[in-house]
Amino acid sequence: MGDTKQYPEIRKRLTPGWWTHNRRYANYMVREWTSLFVALYSLLIIYGLSLWFNGSETDFLNFLKNPAIIGFSIVALFFTMYHAVTWFYLLGAVAPVKIGRSHTKPWQALILNLVLLVIISYVAIWIAILR
Amino acid sequence: MSQDIATIRVTRYRPEKDSKPFVQEYKVPYRRDMVVLDALNYIKSQIDGSLTYRWSCRMGVCGSCGASVDGKPKLTCESFLHEFKGRTITVEPMPNFPVIKDLVVDMEDFMEKLVKIKPWIIREKESPVEEGEYKQSAKELERYSQFSSCINCMLCYAACPIYGLNEKFLGPAATALAYRYIDDSRDQGKDVRFPIVHEMEGAWECTLVGECSVVCPKGVDPMLAIQRTKILGATNAVKSLLMPRGGR
Amino acid sequence: MKTETHKVARLHALLWGIFSLGGMIAAFLLPVLIYLTAIAYPYSLWPFNGTKNPGFLITGHTLGALFLFVTVAGSLFHGIFRFQSVLTEVGLQKYRRGLEAVGYFIIFAGIIILGYYLATWYLNGTIT
Repeated sequence: MGDTKQYPEIRKRLTPGWWTHNRRYANYMVREWTSLFVALYSLLIIYGLSLWFNGSETDFLNFLKNPAIIGFSIVALFFTMYHAVTWFYLLGAVAPVKIGRSHTKPWQALILNLVLLVIISYVAIWIAILR
Repeated sequence: MSQDIATIRVTRYRPEKDSKPFVQEYKVPYRRDMVVLDALNYIKSQIDGSLTYRWSCRMGVCGSCGASVDGKPKLTCESFLHEFKGRTITVEPMPNFPVIKDLVVDMEDFMEKLVKIKPWIIREKESPVEEGEYKQSAKELERYSQFSSCINCMLCYAACPIYGLNEKFLGPAATALAYRYIDDSRDQGKDVRFPIVHEMEGAWECTLVGECSVVCPKGVDPMLAIQRTKILGATNAVKSLLMPRGGR
Repeated sequence: MKTETHKVARLHALLWGIFSLGGMIAAFLLPVLIYLTAIAYPYSLWPFNGTKNPGFLITGHTLGALFLFVTVAGSLFHGIFRFQSVLTEVGLQKYRRGLEAVGYFIIFAGIIILGYYLATWYLNGTIT
């Protein structure tokens, strides 16, 4: 096996902008870039806590009230919600549950998990703040 | 009588003549029930006999006629002309594969991967024929049957940007086929297949783009198979951490 | 016949498992944390429409500190792990090794520093 190739084959390599040519690929890229905001926000909180650790609680709270931090965090919240929504949809796609003869659909997992998100958020606030 | 005409724009490449591919346009009489393969066959028989492409069953079961139709990986025998906007349709070779000529791509890498995952039942010890067949219940069959529907058309590789970026990636069809055997109750080859699907270029390269499952003409859902393979890999890794000397 | 050697990427499998867990955390716990720090507190909305503020996550109850740790650590791991893949997909495959080294350093430094702060606060009574 292995014929000698006498004529050159054409090989088109994917360029770094491969995802711009196709709406579905672009959506995928946006979905993946949410990870940057998730990571950056986490680092921001750690930095804020370091201000508290090396200073006082007021330093941390003033950091949170900084307009630039608020602005970035709200952007991060949008991307985090986009991550959550796409993550829930993916869960539905890769973990279909068999009910009788049919399977659950991704959009059903999305709705169920969004409801769970609201419930868990409330429980988290209750446990951490209101108790 | 005015005839409805479709314009087919085909990417041509004749290695012995051309230094790079070019687009050639053909006018084909349009019928509502025509598929792209019909148009290609018309071109080859009536207009330009040099047009080169693969096809066989013309009914979506052999997996030969994969191409990129208006930018989407499709089987040309399953692409009705009326699905596409307007009467101009672009046909290109499947992306992510080297092109040998016109619409014919080099399948070597894919064939190697199919063989690599050992697509046959592996038994620790083969039973003699007299003992009869390896029995399997309908429920056991259902666990893997969708993954056995693959017709090796390679559309999933054409759609997968991860494969496009890294040729070493095992890829959707091969991983789904490996998983088909891993989840087959008659198979005892996990020791053989796990190292193949769980090496770095195995299932781990997949980032759930999901286009493989979108373009699959047979509903195999390779993304699902790859995800299940990853879960098996992670579970095994945890098990080997907690029980280093045994336990499966 | 070509001899094949296949090495199971066991470490990567474990890291992937943690990344998946981090994804769950980022999806279910991160939104509420961002809401608390960036919307509720600056704009005095519930539950910070009274006297409490995000510092209460630490000084209020151990579970608050635990919530903070799990959410931030999980999200950091998930975000960096996934972003490394993103970078290799936009043309930086060549630098994969270097990017991974930097990424894991950031993850572990971040988690260790956060854990250190919370452990210290727990021990000195800041976290009640």
